[in-house]
Amino acid sequence: MRRLLYAAVALMIAATPQALADPVADRAVAAAKDYVKSNNLKEPKLTILLSSLYNNSFPDFAKKWEELTGVKMEIVPLGYTDIPAKIMQEGVAKTGVYDIFNDFPYTAPDAAGAKVIIPLDNYAAKYKPDFSGVADGLKYQQYHDGKLYIMVNDGDHLLLVLRKDLVENPQVRAEYHARFNKEVGCPDTVAEWAQQAAFFQTKEGDIRWGVKFEKPLYGALGYRSINFSYRHFPVYMKGLLFDKDMKPRINTPDGIAAIRAFAASVEHMPKDIQGWGTPQIYPFWASGQAYSAISFPSIVGFGESNPNSVIKGKQITCIIPGNMIDGKLVRRAPQAAGTGYMVSAYSKHPELAYLFVQWFTSPSVSDEAVAHPRGFWDPYRVDQINNPKIVSRFGAEMVKTTLENTKYAASLLMLEGNYEYFKILDNNLADVMNKNITPEEAARRIEAGWNKVTNDVGRENQIKIWRKGVESGIYLDKF
Amino acid sequence: MQASPEGETKASPLHMAEVLDRADMTEIAAPATRFAVGTAAAPGALRRFGRWLGSDRIFPRIPFLLVELLFILVIFVPFLLTIYISVLKWRANRPFETAYFSGLENYEAVLSSDLFWLSIARTFYFAGVAVVVELVVGFVLAMLVHQCTRSKKFYTTIFLIPMMIVPIVVGYNFSMIYIDSGPLNQLLAPFLERFGIDPHIRWLSDPVAAQLAIIIADIWQWTSLTFLIFLSGFSALPRQLIDAARVMGATPWQNFWRVQLPLLKPAIVIAVIIRSMEALKMFDPVVLLTFGGPGTSTQTVAYFLWEQVWVFNKFSFGAAASVLLLIMFSVLIYVGIYLLIRQRSTVEGKV
Repeated sequence: MRRLLYAAVALMIAATPQALADPVADRAVAAAKDYVKSNNLKEPKLTILLSSLYNNSFPDFAKKWEELTGVKMEIVPLGYTDIPAKIMQEGVAKTGVYDIFNDFPYTAPDAAGAKVIIPLDNYAAKYKPDFSGVADGLKYQQYHDGKLYIMVNDGDHLLLVLRKDLVENPQVRAEYHARFNKEVGCPDTVAEWAQQAAFFQTKEGDIRWGVKFEKPLYGALGYRSINFSYRHFPVYMKGLLFDKDMKPRINTPDGIAAIRAFAASVEHMPKDIQGWGTPQIYPFWASGQAYSAISFPSIVGFGESNPNSVIKGKQITCIIPGNMIDGKLVRRAPQAAGTGYMVSAYSKHPELAYLFVQWFTSPSVSDEAVAHPRGFWDPYRVDQINNPKIVSRFGAEMVKTTLENTKYAASLLMLEGNYEYFKILDNNLADVMNKNITPEEAARRIEAGWNKVTNDVGRENQIKIWRKGVESGIYLDKF
Repeated sequence: MQASPEGETKASPLHMAEVLDRADMTEIAAPATRFAVGTAAAPGALRRFGRWLGSDRIFPRIPFLLVELLFILVIFVPFLLTIYISVLKWRANRPFETAYFSGLENYEAVLSSDLFWLSIARTFYFAGVAVVVELVVGFVLAMLVHQCTRSKKFYTTIFLIPMMIVPIVVGYNFSMIYIDSGPLNQLLAPFLERFGIDPHIRWLSDPVAAQLAIIIADIWQWTSLTFLIFLSGFSALPRQLIDAARVMGATPWQNFWRVQLPLLKPAIVIAVIIRSMEALKMFDPVVLLTFGGPGTSTQTVAYFLWEQVWVFNKFSFGAAASVLLLIMFSVLIYVGIYLLIRQRSTVEGKV
């Protein structure tokens, strides 16, 4: 009898860490099973509209969810640029084809306005997800108009990466110190980054630091093309894009300076940078032809793991450089590409859909996702620094830096009509980079364009939502 | 063709009326009478209806009626819906139920949008340049291939391949070709450097080069179509006329200019119309290569509409722009057809 008792206790102890490993995930699984049973669902299924970036990794989690709950996941992959339109189409067509939408948080305002996604607060109150350990800038962008609409599972905010071999070269260090009277390395400000970019810019055939450069070395890399500029611009902007009455702050000395600095940075980038996206920038970085890059965190992994990379072990990850505001250093790392999960208002089983989202974004499952070798999810929870799989995938230094960087992670505009605001900014930044217009002219045009959008969407409502967003802390900056 | 119960095959509408007249057909008609007025007169009415339906006056119109119904369903109803939406104030980031009547506000907004007019102008520029080059190159290629005695099928196949490639593949390939360190610039480098020009042309990020990049991609893909049309035109030329002209002493140039070219006019007109219509809707290369950028320098009107509706969710604005474009292009097409008819009647008058 005593042996039996010992065995039972031993079994309980063995099972306990598993069962209590992640109560958030366990709650979701148990509730999903109950839901299927109580609704007597035969062959239960959820359909997710998924960014095709996750084609090679998400099916593993879908399979796991099916094993745990019996609920099959049907995946509809689509390019991320097309997903917002698909969601809005569903808002008009109301087909109920999709249960879950996967996209950037800043897609949520339009989708919520169109009532194609539902607030998740009631489900969250019932099933208690865990957002602890998620930095404010990421956590609060799950909310729109004070309601929980999207649950993020990705910390794809911008960081800076430098060439370690160049930074640690004694000749480089000596020359840099002699010229600027400071050490070369992770810059504190974007102005300092620009200074370093200019310093390292080297022409093809030049001999510097005892090395002959067979190819040119560009001082910087960054995203400067359509659909990307708006995601990088907040790095340069001192403070919020609007004041508390939604008057654009772009046509101010700060705004104009930000436009000027953003556009001037292309001087130290490859000539065609305005036509480049990730398929061009990542391989170029890995080819060793640039000194630095402001990019998504996965560029570091690409530089380490790509078979053609010449910069393996030669990268330093840095916290995003900032700007001096009233003598204080203020850094902003735009959450440029991290995605989350929303529940369709036309889903036949919204509660079941929510339960999947809670399970997938729970601490344990999100850890698995971030660690997935073919995934595109980046670290975003503070305790992920302790996860050996994640550390082994990204490298300890990169995980530490990116998690440190989450403190500065700020949301892009969480407003209805935001894609139009973004496009106006993009178009005018492109015109400045091409020297078609001055930064002052661009600022005037952006201001006029943004005011037009605000009026068209409804100024009163926009002001209300803007204020709520700012107060919640999603932009980190306050009025 | 209808098969009668006796197994005879009947072809004309009159036969159908006869068949419906036969007593044995009442069995077929019987279920329908149950839904009629329920009187004894119903089978007679049905018979009369069948006879009316099969009459010379009505039967030939049935297919026309079906086509018209289809037209109403798939074109006219959506068109009316578009007009209706164009007078509402509605962005899709609000449910449709919240839309309200706003008169001509959207039309005013479209007409006062610089982007709208610029995208129209750019579309005509792209279409104009692309179509002219496609016509000239397609014509020359067709003429050369037509004169080939050997390997004609081989060349025809080769020249038709671009048209058969899916546009997304064409776009992707060109995006790789156009990289500033890519194959096109490497190919051009020896020539450009000789004239002191920087061979790193920014095909996708310089406003002017990006426009050219889109035009070149369109020309590469769609010259095949003009080639095909002209090749069929050359193949259909009456050999006797050309031989007769040669026998009568016409030089090869005169033979081409005075005999072949006028005979090819219908093919040329078809090529111009088809390609112009398509080119004015240019969308794929813009999305795939530049997303309308840098800035708005490669935005065509199709891209402009797509962006306003599917990116910015401005459905009613997009509807108003569509209606205005329809009116503009209809006027253009009307003028084109009018000129064509006038020219034809002048030629016929001369004959």
